[in-house]
Amino acid sequence: MSSTDKSPEPTPASGPEPTPGKPMGIGQHVIDKSAMMVQSLGPIKQISHHACSFAIYSHDMSRQIETHHYCSRIHENFIQCAVYDSEESDARLLGVEYIVPHDIFETMPPEEQKLWHSHAYEIKSGLWVDPRVPELIAMPELENLAKTYGKFWCTWQVDRGDRLPMGAPALMMSPQAVSPGLVRPELVLKRDAKYNISSESLKSSRLEILEPEMINPNADYWKQHGKGAFEQWEPTLIVG
Amino acid sequence: MSTNDGTQPQVLGGEPTKSSTYLRDTATSAIQSFTPINKIHQHICAFHFYSHDMTRQVEAHHYCGHVNEEMRQCLIYDSPEKKARLIGLEYIISENLYLTLPDEEKILWHSHLYEVKSGLLVLPKVPSPIHCKDMEQVCKTYGKVFHFWQVDKGHSLPFGIPQLMMALTRDGQVYDHLVQSCAERLGVDIEKERKSREYMTGPDHGIHPLANGGGKGLETRLREVELKHDALPPSSTRASV
Repeated sequence: MSSTDKSPEPTPASGPEPTPGKPMGIGQHVIDKSAMMVQSLGPIKQISHHACSFAIYSHDMSRQIETHHYCSRIHENFIQCAVYDSEESDARLLGVEYIVPHDIFETMPPEEQKLWHSHAYEIKSGLWVDPRVPELIAMPELENLAKTYGKFWCTWQVDRGDRLPMGAPALMMSPQAVSPGLVRPELVLKRDAKYNISSESLKSSRLEILEPEMINPNADYWKQHGKGAFEQWEPTLIVG
Repeated sequence: MSTNDGTQPQVLGGEPTKSSTYLRDTATSAIQSFTPINKIHQHICAFHFYSHDMTRQVEAHHYCGHVNEEMRQCLIYDSPEKKARLIGLEYIISENLYLTLPDEEKILWHSHLYEVKSGLLVLPKVPSPIHCKDMEQVCKTYGKVFHFWQVDKGHSLPFGIPQLMMALTRDGQVYDHLVQSCAERLGVDIEKERKSREYMTGPDHGIHPLANGGGKGLETRLREVELKHDALPPSSTRASV
């Protein structure tokens, strides 16, 4: 059966080429523009924040990806994000991440907490950036985010060459200060070059950001319960 | 029976957004670019049920953008309101692309023929001629949906693992009260839609026998796996904070 881990058999749906399919025709453009003019797209207009960071497959931490989060806030303490693989017009929708603060996280059952990751390291190390937003303006939100937890499901594994979304969703983890949670330097350099920033210098300017007093040990499950025998999660589809 | 009765989304136990946060969000959004989000051009409303339990049915508001002529990617919310919850996503592909998928993948996708022809899948507010043009296309496509937030269970937060969802394939499956509630709120006449779509046709090769779970229910499960030993990145030299 389909699983997160096993690559699908080679088919035209896999390969280095971009997403297969004919380019947009005039007819479809007209339909799209017309729909957009009369429809209100309410929830989409609430998306007000673009963040760029990195994520790691929980079942294979050698696989790391750059992520572009487009986030909206339902209320002060709950953020929901559509995650894409780039900020370009041909960006592919990779999945969804939910973000909650410490106090909400603490109300969850332990089995649920195991699916979540912490954000403190990602923020403090300069990996999480808000493209084009001056650090000074971004700072209050970064301070909040450092104390949050996230749950990110990836449904399109473009990094393994899937030209179409295939298989079951994969649970993603956040970068951490210890291997294998360290993000490969070349990934960071590539991202930094695109935005003309330096994650290293962001790291020094973010030293002052307060870390949570305690990161719940059920989050980042692989890290806290690792000791050489990491446990990881893999969703499997079975015929019921 | 637990269903989404289409009432206002229940607000989670959290503070409302502070005005300082709101201002910061607004300031941030003014200087950032939202290219992938700006590609989202249409609102489609339809119903999904859990692949392993057809009695659990959810109203799903899709906000879709085209990747190209043959593929759309959609964010799914539980309502069309500002505070709607992002509960899942759907990929929609042409028959041509669907046929390139490996067989074990094909079972995860559903057909759209019945949803379109029954009038149960609608583009709210879009005038009929445009509506029909797009429905002629959607009628021939296949979709793959995962929901991450089981709002029909009353979950105030997105608990648990992703759920594979399926679409309606024949009369008598969807709860009438769900349809009526949705149609009233959106101002849609489902019967009229159904009539105006009678001429539409599905995939050229017919609905693939493996689509819609191959007629079986599928359930997502989670299992623990050992962390791969080759998981160490080749160069992990970054200093820790």
